[in-house]
Amino acid sequence: MSADQMKLGAFLMAGGHHIAAWRHPDAHANAGADISHFIQLAQMAERAKFDMVFIEDAAAIRERNPEIASQAARSTSFEPLSLLAALAVNTSHIGLVATASTTYNEPYGLARTFAALDQLSGGRAGWNLVTSASDLEAENFVSSGLRPHGQRYERAEEFAQAATTVWDSVDEGAYVLDAEQGVYADPAKLHPVDHRGTHFTVTGVLDSQRSPQGRPLMVQAGASDVGKDLAARTADVVFSAAQTMGEAQAFYADVKARLAKFGRQADDLKIMPGVSPIVGETESEARAKYDALQELIPDQVGVALLASYLSLKDLSNHPLDGPLPDMPQTDGIQSRQQLIIDLGRRENLSIRQLARHFAGARGHWQLIGTPVQIADALEERFRGKAADGFNVMPPLFPSGLDDFARFVVPELQRRGLFRQEYEGRTLRENLGVRTPARSS
Amino acid sequence: MHIGLSLTPFGHHPSAWRRKSGERAALDFGRMAAQVKKAEAGALDFVLLPDQFGQRPHDDLSPLAVPFEPTMLVSALATATSRIGLIAAAAMHQHEPYNLGRRFASLDLIGEGRTGWNVIGSDDPDRDQEYLDVVSGLWDSFEADAFTYDKARGRFFDPDKMHVLNHKGTHFTVRGPLNVNPSPQGRPVISHVLTPDTLDIAALADVVFLPGATPDALKALAASLVERLATRGRRREDVRFFANIIPSFGTSQSDVPHGFAVIGTASNIADQMQEQAAAAGLDGFVVLSPIEPEGVISFVDEVIPELRRRGVFRRAYDTTTLHGHLGLARPVRLERAS
Repeated sequence: MSADQMKLGAFLMAGGHHIAAWRHPDAHANAGADISHFIQLAQMAERAKFDMVFIEDAAAIRERNPEIASQAARSTSFEPLSLLAALAVNTSHIGLVATASTTYNEPYGLARTFAALDQLSGGRAGWNLVTSASDLEAENFVSSGLRPHGQRYERAEEFAQAATTVWDSVDEGAYVLDAEQGVYADPAKLHPVDHRGTHFTVTGVLDSQRSPQGRPLMVQAGASDVGKDLAARTADVVFSAAQTMGEAQAFYADVKARLAKFGRQADDLKIMPGVSPIVGETESEARAKYDALQELIPDQVGVALLASYLSLKDLSNHPLDGPLPDMPQTDGIQSRQQLIIDLGRRENLSIRQLARHFAGARGHWQLIGTPVQIADALEERFRGKAADGFNVMPPLFPSGLDDFARFVVPELQRRGLFRQEYEGRTLRENLGVRTPARSS
Repeated sequence: MHIGLSLTPFGHHPSAWRRKSGERAALDFGRMAAQVKKAEAGALDFVLLPDQFGQRPHDDLSPLAVPFEPTMLVSALATATSRIGLIAAAAMHQHEPYNLGRRFASLDLIGEGRTGWNVIGSDDPDRDQEYLDVVSGLWDSFEADAFTYDKARGRFFDPDKMHVLNHKGTHFTVRGPLNVNPSPQGRPVISHVLTPDTLDIAALADVVFLPGATPDALKALAASLVERLATRGRRREDVRFFANIIPSFGTSQSDVPHGFAVIGTASNIADQMQEQAAAAGLDGFVVLSPIEPEGVISFVDEVIPELRRRGVFRRAYDTTTLHGHLGLARPVRLERAS
């Protein structure tokens, strides 16, 4: 692992990250229900030596209004952990990161499920810990509705701690299978969990061997103050959304500065902002690809997506060509809300313009250009202490990932900014984050 | 006759692992997959992945269970096989119904209609019934032809064919709909290991596993289930009844509990299977081999050809889904009031 090389994640999504990708003539419209499509994407990313593939999640349909839901391909998808279990045995080196909620799962069950992904993949599992901010998810689990932001994070802290003790309950080599002595597992290498906390009681021992990478990789994306503290304490990777160099640098410096108070080094945590690249042989070809996708966005869908990012029930009662209304801070995702408000003010954008903009890259940094232009922009942020790597969000699959893999990755490699070969077999080895020792 | 294999790394005999001293590779995915591929080569209906609820005695990790969480193993096995059914056990008290319904719906898409859920009940029958009702309702979120993918009109699915569950019960509040496309078999197969206390769960299942080692014990349990089915408007032929068999090639008696010990040559074993099926009114058997992978290899290479010669077992798969293999009708979407 070289400290001057960036990390790359391939953020997979059925038809593509662009909200209207599924309508594109090249799109395989039922990609979200086709496992071979996802296997193809993971293998493509692995050939390009990406560090990981990443799957987002919501434990609910994403849109309340059936009329709008029925126009969006994101309404249905595979459940992430079962999807990654299938990818694990069809790849050999690439990391497999699934999103899962601490609000609607229990620590033992989720820890053993990620442990299974680590067994299937030989130590390539990662968990993007989320606390689930949407009302629609809450309505699938509890009668009392969405819990407040602070309460969700309090539960998340305890959840992460309990999950860690479950993963640490089995030492390496605990399964001795000693027929002569009649010992299947060495009791001295088992450390039964006895967690009695505010939110959970967890007892027992992990039902599989210790992960080849010690524990699954921990990923987080929360960018609120309490979210950043949780990340600084527990995460190996942080996914973020930043539009400008200034925002990205500020976020990077802020999170890295928090590590010291938890006894961690700056290198212990990798910050990987999302980037949505549209690659063309020429800038105008890239622009034409972008325009072709933008034209496919129904206004109703774009505005509804914008409203959900703002944690608003509805925006359709405001004039589409006017600015965003004033709004209170919500219990949803506070950081993304601020990012959208700032962008709208800074560039004086109407609701329709913001909706199209966000529908395109869903709030992430968008790059439209030639391989050299895109590599320049990534290099600038990487060298400018704004990112340790990037979570790549192609607007259209498979062609958008193929473009990045075939044209941008070689350009980054030529500059010495990205690996030619995997350094190791586990996700932690390839990312260059330590395999944790058992906590006692 | 229908036949499934209960999957274990070493075999169902408690001391089976002792024959593989130090052989941790037996716990690897590749070795588990090899057993399942062998079962598929014999055109078996399914493999069953038992679970120890994830909670084992901490001083005695069980060599009898699959070596890690079963639904994840099913997903991986689905991409390594193409026809055999894959049934994973999961306990209702360990998953929220939305999460479990969604996991199995996703597995059923990955396996293209070959997945089953072996239901493990809790100690609260009332909660269990509500749970099954919720999961079943979630699996009916979309009608089979809901997804039209109409690019020109921008219509991914027909909203009139999506059904929001809006369940508000004693134990659960679940709005729905499920955010997974329906699978080629409509919904996963439901199976259950019947005990005298769980007739109500079994009455909702497609496949019922009857524990017990005598035809009389099995018949009594089966008869009480048939009565319970009637109260739900279901008939005996809507459900497949299975018992366990423990095949031993040669003469040694096995001490694996909860099943018929069938002993002898392939021909003797086939005789005993036919006799037991007739005596107890069974549709088929789950094979619990004392020693794996030798057990599945012998069974597929020796007993299956014998059963085929007698015309009681399929020569090859003639359907693509687990419902199809079991000869079950494609499930009908239930109309719900809400």
